[in-house]
Amino acid sequence: MSESGTPPFWHEDPDGAAGEYVLGTLPPDERAAFARALEREADLRRAVAAWEARLVPLAAAMPAVTPRPDLWAGIDAKIDAKIDTTSDSRPVAEAVPASAGADDGGDQIIRLERRIGRWRMATGAATALAAGLALWIAVARPPSLDAPPQYLAVVDRGGALPALIVRVDLKAGVVQVRSLAAETPPDRSLELWYINAGSAPQSLGLVSAETASLPIPADLRPGTVSTTFAVTVEPPGGAPEGKPTGPAIYSGRLIRD
Amino acid sequence: MNRGDGALGSAQREEDLARLIETVAGGERAALRALYEATAPKLFGIILRILPDRNAAEDTLQEVFVRIWQRAGSYDPRAGAPLPWLIAVARHRAIDRLRQDRASRLTQTEDGWLERLADTKDGEADLARRDALDHCLDRIDPPQRHCLVLAYCEGWSREDLAARYDRPVNTIKTWLRRGLLSLRTCLEAP
Repeated sequence: MSESGTPPFWHEDPDGAAGEYVLGTLPPDERAAFARALEREADLRRAVAAWEARLVPLAAAMPAVTPRPDLWAGIDAKIDAKIDTTSDSRPVAEAVPASAGADDGGDQIIRLERRIGRWRMATGAATALAAGLALWIAVARPPSLDAPPQYLAVVDRGGALPALIVRVDLKAGVVQVRSLAAETPPDRSLELWYINAGSAPQSLGLVSAETASLPIPADLRPGTVSTTFAVTVEPPGGAPEGKPTGPAIYSGRLIRD
Repeated sequence: MNRGDGALGSAQREEDLARLIETVAGGERAALRALYEATAPKLFGIILRILPDRNAAEDTLQEVFVRIWQRAGSYDPRAGAPLPWLIAVARHRAIDRLRQDRASRLTQTEDGWLERLADTKDGEADLARRDALDHCLDRIDPPQRHCLVLAYCEGWSREDLAARYDRPVNTIKTWLRRGLLSLRTCLEAP
């Protein structure tokens, strides 16, 4: 269960630990360790969800209190601030000159490519994932002139099977992500981002072995803006603050023919 | 989507909330706003019980919705209903803030959580599940029951509870674990 071989503190009573996690009574170090384990252990997640469900009538019974009307504006501003300052406080941002702000899609690509370099250095190109990455973008022709076009990004790693297919289906209004051979490093998640020219990266979600179908985000409009996709290596469950923190292992543009 | 017996609120409301969360996951800020309108008062009420300091509670409510914005994609309707998921985000954030501020809870802000549980008639809580919890909490030894309720509703830590009951922290841990086990056994009894 743990990386080190020593049993984790919840080993003897995982359900009790899950219950105390929900109560909030685990000591801080145990609480943090348990939260990390939740990201990778489905059994613990189920135990926690069961306790949340058992106890939630207590919370639901508490009287509602209407917050001050201006609180929403603060949430809007906090989200904007996080988007605008993409990577500012992150070590990966050191590779980017201060003048190359997050406001330019092209600079983002450079930044992401530099992250690829770091990833390679960091791993010594030991994994197939990092070795010889290449990206092909194919734009599927619409089956008929009337049908809205589909856009397809096929991500490959150098001659082997495609690792990832990103399909933007304007007719169905969905982005489909199909992971064919993307290898997720242990204890990490792969997260897919799209980057409109002039904007900060937006997460499309985690890349899993299954096909994910997501609604097309309002600002993802192939053909009207130049959109880039990138896949980064993130902590389990995805980038904690909604912006990429890890090395990009794939990136490529989705362009209209 | 969910077993009918475990739902909070009507199935329709649950579906609406789940769809809103899914749309938020797609990056739709308007959906987050709609989710806020629908659930902020409930979540704020819960946060305020854990963080009586109004500024801290308001801060936390904002952080909760930023977190919902960031983590909406991780919500899995198969794993549970949407409102418990939102409540869990709010409670965990509030408890983290409480611990971070090292605010100590040596006085109880409110008595009568159990009475409130029994009296709730606003339709928010699923009746069968609420009654079962009420019944099973009632069967737990009083100190253990109070520890569970104070921890869950008001964010009391083991240390806070140890000070209140004048017992070692390890005893409180034992009470909590035993209380949880009794609760689970009772709730799962046929």
